[in-house]
Amino acid sequence: MNEAARSIPDVPRPLSLLCELTYRCNLQCPYCYNPLDLHTYRDELDAAAWERVLGEAAELGVLQAHFSGGEPTLRPELPQLVQRAAAAGLYTNLITQGTFLDDALLGRLKSANLDHVQISVQAPEEHLADEIAGTRVHARKMDALRRVQDAGFALTLNCVLTRMNHHLIEDVIGLAQEYGIGKLELANVQFYGWAYRNRAALMPTREQVEHGTAVVAAARKRLGSTLQIAYVLPDYFEERPKPCMHGWGRAFITVTPDGRVLPCPAAAAISTLRFDNVRERSLGDIWREGDAFVAYRGTQWMPDPCKSCDRREIDWGGCRCQAFLLTGDAGVTDPACGLSPRHDLVAAWRDDPVDAPAVPRRMQTASRT
Amino acid sequence: MNHAGAPAFERGVRLRREPDGSAMLLVPEGVVMLNGSAAAALALVDGERTIDQIAAEIARANFDAPSERIAEDVRVLFDRLHERRLVRL
Repeated sequence: MNEAARSIPDVPRPLSLLCELTYRCNLQCPYCYNPLDLHTYRDELDAAAWERVLGEAAELGVLQAHFSGGEPTLRPELPQLVQRAAAAGLYTNLITQGTFLDDALLGRLKSANLDHVQISVQAPEEHLADEIAGTRVHARKMDALRRVQDAGFALTLNCVLTRMNHHLIEDVIGLAQEYGIGKLELANVQFYGWAYRNRAALMPTREQVEHGTAVVAAARKRLGSTLQIAYVLPDYFEERPKPCMHGWGRAFITVTPDGRVLPCPAAAAISTLRFDNVRERSLGDIWREGDAFVAYRGTQWMPDPCKSCDRREIDWGGCRCQAFLLTGDAGVTDPACGLSPRHDLVAAWRDDPVDAPAVPRRMQTASRT
Repeated sequence: MNHAGAPAFERGVRLRREPDGSAMLLVPEGVVMLNGSAAAALALVDGERTIDQIAAEIARANFDAPSERIAEDVRVLFDRLHERRLVRL
């Protein structure tokens, strides 16, 4: 190919690599953002391929490697991969539901120089937490919160907020305090993958969101810097979209269990894009000139109202995946934006939540639901 | 604020220096970019030097700036980093 013809201006430095080591998980949370067709990701990259990807990421300038899934601790090579990332100078973060974190594994992760652990809880009390997870795991998670801190790791507690648990937000803050945790992420559910499938059951009410905002504001004032609370309003309750991934192809790379390289963890849902695989191309090539990364990088692709908007390099058009899921076109303004001509799509499911049972996340049954 | 103690990075906070001399703090949520004077001060954080010792070392290397001013800047820097839970004092 002609070098000039394919030269791409201003390819930024990626900061963060999300390694989705497996989509297997023993929990069945209905808000999981993993794709519905989990069974198509069974051909997982081996440890050697992951090590190569981590090395290529460091060469590209990536600063952080996040190990997630599914449940990443189901891969026995996890400590070896953390060690590889740390040796390449990357900051290493384990995103886990915590049920397999025994002292032996924690010891291996400590030796591998893991920097940080994030553990999720489904709710601040056992009955509801186990109901959401679809299995009895809450007690083991509480045990893991202690073990991780005793092993000397920095720990963030994460709780995904949905209509099922939003009213318990004060108790989640209490749980973080009880366990002496310094950072809490109260993550309003985002509607991708299984969460999109289950949005009718998960969408919080406006009253819940406003109550949560007030509770968090009071807690921040009361607790100061002893507990740092991240609480971001859900975009469908705001008039401006979230600057998803800080812009498509600007800072983030996701590699799926089978080696597909995505500009966003939810991007595989965009059936109009073709995603390169690390089995076939280097991470650097894919980042710089892979079709999916180039498609919506920068502002060239934007239609109105984004193209002429003062916020085009603040919001970056919002979220491509959300635009696709709602309209069938990933190249339009995110309907979460009040200026989008299709804002009615967001308003409809925000303002008229339909009560419907949630479908638990499963490897097998996705195609039949 | 007590400035007599020796600052250390909080768990989960790591200083990274780049080949071009720039520096940053890596934290779980991302990156905190450092200006030149903050990078110089944080390069001296080892859990043993006190804030006053760090300020004194920087002052020795900077003949142009008054040492009182440097000491004040370094104290403000560590107060801010402590408030953000990036260092403990």
